[in-house]
Amino acid sequence: MSRKILIVGAGQSGLQLAHGLLQHGYQVTLMSARTADEIRGGRVMSTQAMFDAALQHERDLGLNFWEDEGPHFDGLGFSLAGPDGSLALDWAGRLNAFAQSVDQRVKMAGWLEALEQRGGRVIIHGVTVSDLDRLVNRYDLTIVAAGKGELVQLFGRDPSHSPYAAPQRALSVVYVHGLGPRPERGDLATVNFNLVPGVGELFIMPALTTTGPCDILFFEGIPDGPLDRFTGIRSPEEHLRLTLELMERYVPWEYARAHNVELTDWGGTLAGRYAPVVRNPVGPLPSGGAVLGMADVVVANDPITGQGSNNAAKCAAIYLERILAHGDRPYDQAFMQEVFGHFWDYAQYPTTWTNAMLQPPPPHIVQVLGAAAGHQQIADRFANGFNDPRDFFSWFMDPGKAASYLESVVGAAV
Amino acid sequence: MKGTAMLRSSRVRPYAITGGRTIARMPLLLETLVSVPDYDLMVHQMLVAESRDIYALCRSVQSIAEISAALDMPLGVVRVLVSDLADDGRLRIHPTAVHAGVPEHMLLERVLRGLQTIKH
Repeated sequence: MSRKILIVGAGQSGLQLAHGLLQHGYQVTLMSARTADEIRGGRVMSTQAMFDAALQHERDLGLNFWEDEGPHFDGLGFSLAGPDGSLALDWAGRLNAFAQSVDQRVKMAGWLEALEQRGGRVIIHGVTVSDLDRLVNRYDLTIVAAGKGELVQLFGRDPSHSPYAAPQRALSVVYVHGLGPRPERGDLATVNFNLVPGVGELFIMPALTTTGPCDILFFEGIPDGPLDRFTGIRSPEEHLRLTLELMERYVPWEYARAHNVELTDWGGTLAGRYAPVVRNPVGPLPSGGAVLGMADVVVANDPITGQGSNNAAKCAAIYLERILAHGDRPYDQAFMQEVFGHFWDYAQYPTTWTNAMLQPPPPHIVQVLGAAAGHQQIADRFANGFNDPRDFFSWFMDPGKAASYLESVVGAAV
Repeated sequence: MKGTAMLRSSRVRPYAITGGRTIARMPLLLETLVSVPDYDLMVHQMLVAESRDIYALCRSVQSIAEISAALDMPLGVVRVLVSDLADDGRLRIHPTAVHAGVPEHMLLERVLRGLQTIKH
């Protein structure tokens, strides 16, 4: 008889893993707090820019339903505001393979319906600890992939990997239609990373939402700074108006293409903040059972590096591989620790990089970002690091390695 | 601005494989009624404890809320077990008043009764 697996949570990681296990003959039950229609008609949840390595995991499972329909982007643009507010630095790196953002309202609703059609069992219910306590013994393995509910409290914070106790950015997201191009980019479609020192960051990326292709305006404001103004904003129109006002003030080169923007829909805005955290992967239940946490339940980084959905896709791929490799042996707590260990072997790199990017850039990073303006190969390497952040640790993250890399590039160019 | 936003609605297919049609079952609401159409003692004895309790209780029509209250069972557990029993053909899920478009006074009363006795 096939093994029974319960997955709680209908996001990138939970649904991707559910589809993967189902395709390998496992009996999968997935519990989602919302129906597909409720997800589709609800509020945006993320910016979910995904790079090639993460997109490949979706292709491997035949889940790339919107790959042709949604806009692609092929580069990463970087703009730095100078002390006087002018554009001090501007360049774009080219990605080796395209990236894409498909609104999770579209993707998760579609994946949830597809899961049921393909033979998965879907239960609509906001799961509580007492539910889990009574359900866990009915399944060979229970996985918690719901990073936003009460269940994350089952997983204790790991202070050794959680350097921040408080949120490091105030987040604001608006989905819009009608944004014009950045003329400097020519034909290169990019996600734009605007850095305003001491104030925060603005990311702009093309995406596919419920009403078609759009762009996402995503502010990361330093808490209590001038971008931290979205708490308590009630109407989406007001949210957009404030976003445009802040763009005009702090990133006028982006505001210049935003004169005709309009909200995609009433649910196209989001504001919030959270402290980045790494948690223990095994969640003990009152009756003695245990559940395994995945993706942002156990590793929740700040979205400043756009790695959340990428980490979720990679986590789901790693968990699938380890579950398959485990065969018929019991999924005990040692197994849970081992599975998470495989994910952490990877996730430690994006986590360390992301936590570093929340700090004011140290001199060697300022040098790298400056040198990228004159050397395309540096810009390209920076852009492709978003696809696989492990590469940053061979040059970008370490002052010595960064210096010798810059010397090799700049020296060779002379 | 509002006019063009309206025109854009629903341009994106839910997903490509079926052109957006879905066979997804309706969610089990608190007021969803279920019953065992053909009670079978053999089936009863074969089921594991909690499923067996639901199977026996649903010889008469019950709402999800009533099952949870009568068996002192968390709602999530009821939803999972009812779904499993239904998938195995042991239990019938009635179309709810909301989905069928028929308001029903009796139904509202029993839901209320279920909610009043439910424990968390």
